[in-house]
Amino acid sequence: MNSLKTNYTLILFFIILPVLTSAQEKPIGLEVMQKVYDRPDGNDMQSELAMTLTNSRGDQRVRKIRQFVKDMGQVEKKIMFFLSPADVRNTSFMNWSYDEIGKDDDQWIYLPALKKTKRISSDSKSDYFMGSDFTYDDLGDRHPTDDTHKILRQENLNDEACYVVESTPKNEDYMYSKTISWVIKDKWIGLKKEFYDEDGELLKILTVKSFSKIKDYWIISESEMKNVQKNHTTNMKLQDIKIDFGIESNKFTERMMKRGIK
Amino acid sequence: MNKLFNWILKYPRVILVVTLVSSAALFFVMKNNSRMETDLDKYMPQQHPAFVYSDQAEEWFNINDGIIIAIEHENGIYNSGTLQKVKDLTKALQQMDEINKKDVTSLYTADNIIGTDEGMDVKAFYKRVPQSDGNLKTLRQNVRNNDMISGRLVSESETVTVIIAEIEDDVFTQEFYKNILETAKTYEGPENVYVAGRPIVEGTMALLGPADMKRMVPIVLTVIVLVLLWVMRSFKNTIFTMLVVLFSVVWAFGLMALINIPIYAVSTMIPVMLIAIGVADGIHLYSHLDLFMLKNPNTGKMEAVKDMLAGMWKPVAMTSVTTAVGFISLLTSQVYPIKYFGIFTAIGVMMAMVFSLLLIPAAILVFGLPKRKPKVGKSEKKSGHIAYRFAEAVVKNKVVTYISIVFIVVLSIYGMSKVWINSSFLEKFETDSDIVLTDKFINQNFGGTSTINVILESQDENVFKQPHVMQLIDEMQAESEKLTLVGNSFSLADYLRRMNKVMHADSVEYDTIPESNKLIAQYLLLYEMSGDPENLWKVVDYKYNKANITLQLKSDNSKAINAAIAVVDQFVDRFQKFGVSVKYAGSGYKGLVFTDLILQGQITSLLLSLIIIVVLLSIMFRKISIGFIGAVPIAVTAFISFGIMGLFDIPLSTTTALISSIAIGIGIDYAVHFIERYKINALETQDRTKTIQETMHHSGRAIIFNALVVIAGFLVLLASVFPPNRSLGALVSLNMFTSFLGTITIMFILIYASNIYFKNKS
Repeated sequence: MNSLKTNYTLILFFIILPVLTSAQEKPIGLEVMQKVYDRPDGNDMQSELAMTLTNSRGDQRVRKIRQFVKDMGQVEKKIMFFLSPADVRNTSFMNWSYDEIGKDDDQWIYLPALKKTKRISSDSKSDYFMGSDFTYDDLGDRHPTDDTHKILRQENLNDEACYVVESTPKNEDYMYSKTISWVIKDKWIGLKKEFYDEDGELLKILTVKSFSKIKDYWIISESEMKNVQKNHTTNMKLQDIKIDFGIESNKFTERMMKRGIK
Repeated sequence: MNKLFNWILKYPRVILVVTLVSSAALFFVMKNNSRMETDLDKYMPQQHPAFVYSDQAEEWFNINDGIIIAIEHENGIYNSGTLQKVKDLTKALQQMDEINKKDVTSLYTADNIIGTDEGMDVKAFYKRVPQSDGNLKTLRQNVRNNDMISGRLVSESETVTVIIAEIEDDVFTQEFYKNILETAKTYEGPENVYVAGRPIVEGTMALLGPADMKRMVPIVLTVIVLVLLWVMRSFKNTIFTMLVVLFSVVWAFGLMALINIPIYAVSTMIPVMLIAIGVADGIHLYSHLDLFMLKNPNTGKMEAVKDMLAGMWKPVAMTSVTTAVGFISLLTSQVYPIKYFGIFTAIGVMMAMVFSLLLIPAAILVFGLPKRKPKVGKSEKKSGHIAYRFAEAVVKNKVVTYISIVFIVVLSIYGMSKVWINSSFLEKFETDSDIVLTDKFINQNFGGTSTINVILESQDENVFKQPHVMQLIDEMQAESEKLTLVGNSFSLADYLRRMNKVMHADSVEYDTIPESNKLIAQYLLLYEMSGDPENLWKVVDYKYNKANITLQLKSDNSKAINAAIAVVDQFVDRFQKFGVSVKYAGSGYKGLVFTDLILQGQITSLLLSLIIIVVLLSIMFRKISIGFIGAVPIAVTAFISFGIMGLFDIPLSTTTALISSIAIGIGIDYAVHFIERYKINALETQDRTKTIQETMHHSGRAIIFNALVVIAGFLVLLASVFPPNRSLGALVSLNMFTSFLGTITIMFILIYASNIYFKNKS
């Protein structure tokens, strides 16, 4: 009896497993990426961002930015003030990013030397963010439904069990032909990501250097993007991170941009 | 020495076999080990400060030579078909292994900085090819509004657009060259596609020059063989004279291959030198033999050979040693290929001497004396009379020679003052060749196919965010663009002016450098935030203390480059005040420096070898006056050679400069043979008239044969399709002729007037 039961189970296993996995493959890839996208990170955050740019010869430039972000439901608002270098101090940048599909971000820049706020239109999320190796999409703006996802395998990376997910854009004109992400299973943090250019060649590698739990949220505090074709690297490090301190909604206005950081 | 020859003459067959086998062995070494050096950078002296700096600057700003592909559509390029081709060709170029993706610039990849009602935007002109009339018009308007693109990537006439693919120095190969041309061709119709740019010019030259030589050399050799046959009237003599040349060439290149030295472009001149110089030994030896046989028709071959060697080994050895030393003086050059050229030509000359003194006697002993046709004797007598009369006439009318020489020297000095150096590659081609026409076409429509980079540098970071420094750069660009040959210039100043204008609602009065350093910094930050900052790093470095200003020139010739540099140099002091230094970079500039180096070296070694030759001749003939007299034909040849180049506007280049060393090699041969014979005759006869007559008959005859053979051979090169090979042929022939004429006129008169070798001085 026992052995018969085992046999039945085995047969069931062999018949059903392939069906199950093939049926689940598509949703699972998307699910993983959706979970990364939806990972809660608080309603608001302020921090000091140190952005270090390193070119192929090893020259470095460091920019320090004070930034405030607030999720306001349909729109996420972000305001940034340059602290250094001195000649751009108090140059500020504001970005409103909308959940509504197809709606472009609104962006403003305030140049204190010109004493004027200017709109910068961004019709493309593939623009590079402040001369870094990150595009706006790379910083987490891209919605998972824009791509089709496939789990390639599961493996350990830095002692974390990861899903390795390949994402291919539905729009063929997108700047990447595909990306491959290593996502930590229980934390839904993308630990590493490879970006392939239009011709299928490896373009950039994103590596998360450190993350920590702040107020129950998993927050990435240091990440590095290396453009392997240009041999240019951007390191972004967040310090003095404060989450859910309750930033006022009226912080995100042109008036505030002009006021600057005292 | 005679003992040595006597010993050698016992084993003529051994000598033949040894020479043949050793030369054959070296031929195989040459065949298997030789390699051509095609990387032009390998030619440059790597340690020279100008090159070190230029290489460094090229790396800082990713300065590379660009292949320019122009696409022309008669009705204008703003139609979806042409724009599609621009996109496809851009992508095709980006796909090539030799080209880095980011190094391709076209309307498809360019950034468009535009002013909007509320601010500024940096975006592509198009990603998807615009189809509708409206979109095409918008694109056209965008280009028209943008000074950074209009006139640079799209011609003012809007019928031509260019794609520029920059490539690194070491990736250029023949296959890549063919691949580029073939790829471009597939995009033709209804558009015309043109390919230009320095890499293409260099590639065409590397292909055309040797190909032309390959075609011409057999014809040159045939003509030389025919003329040799005519003057020597003997197959055997001709064959062995040519074998001496052939073996010396094989030894020179074989040894080169043996010690693993690659063949450089200038090394291809070695056979040219050896042909011109090597035939002389054979001609003089056989000529001596002929005259001996004429006087002593019934002697045996052993005796004839012995007389030939006894009478001729000295002048043959002396000419070869002096010629070789002349070439060895090229070691003073800073350019390695030229050093090698000097050494291996010297080796070839010495080997030609060895072979003439071994192979020719051995061949006579083994294969017998050359057969002579009966009527020859008569014509010899006749030629003897001509020589006698000529000798007397020269002496009688020496004033004519003196006056002519003064006239020629004065004219030559005037001509020499007009000699100019040209490092241009393009001007080596026919004026109606495809490559020149294409270049002209692109130069008419755009800023220019050649570039020079002005590199500004300072210790202070952010100096190129200072308004006064940027304004000075802007002023310098404006000043240089006043030259008609400077079609365009490009620097960080162009970005700043463009952004300042755009941020002020496209108002023309703001097409200036911003007044405040903070505003400049903030514009630049804004640009980095909106565009691809990679473009900025081609004009300024990360720390804003190095800047690159590109001047586009309509010509790559030295006059054009120097004119542009002269304008920039006027600004050096003003930049100095801001702690900014001015230097130059780029392959055009390196070419200029390189040519200068070669010529300096060439002139130094020319003077040096002239001194060495005077010393050597003085020692050999134990008379200082002979040293100076012997150097006269060389000096005359050099004067005329450079004088004619100046008068006929033939610029000095690496090839034409090297030919001057042939003047030494050949001039010295003539002089030594002549003086040696003169000395022998003088000591024998102690009769001045008889001496000059005999010398003219004996040496004059051999010299005229030698001159005839080489001149005829090299005149063939005038039919060459590659202009540098044509000037090579013309100048070698000219040098042969003037050396010959100088020897039998002015030198002849001087030695006659000097009374040397006559005890009775009356």
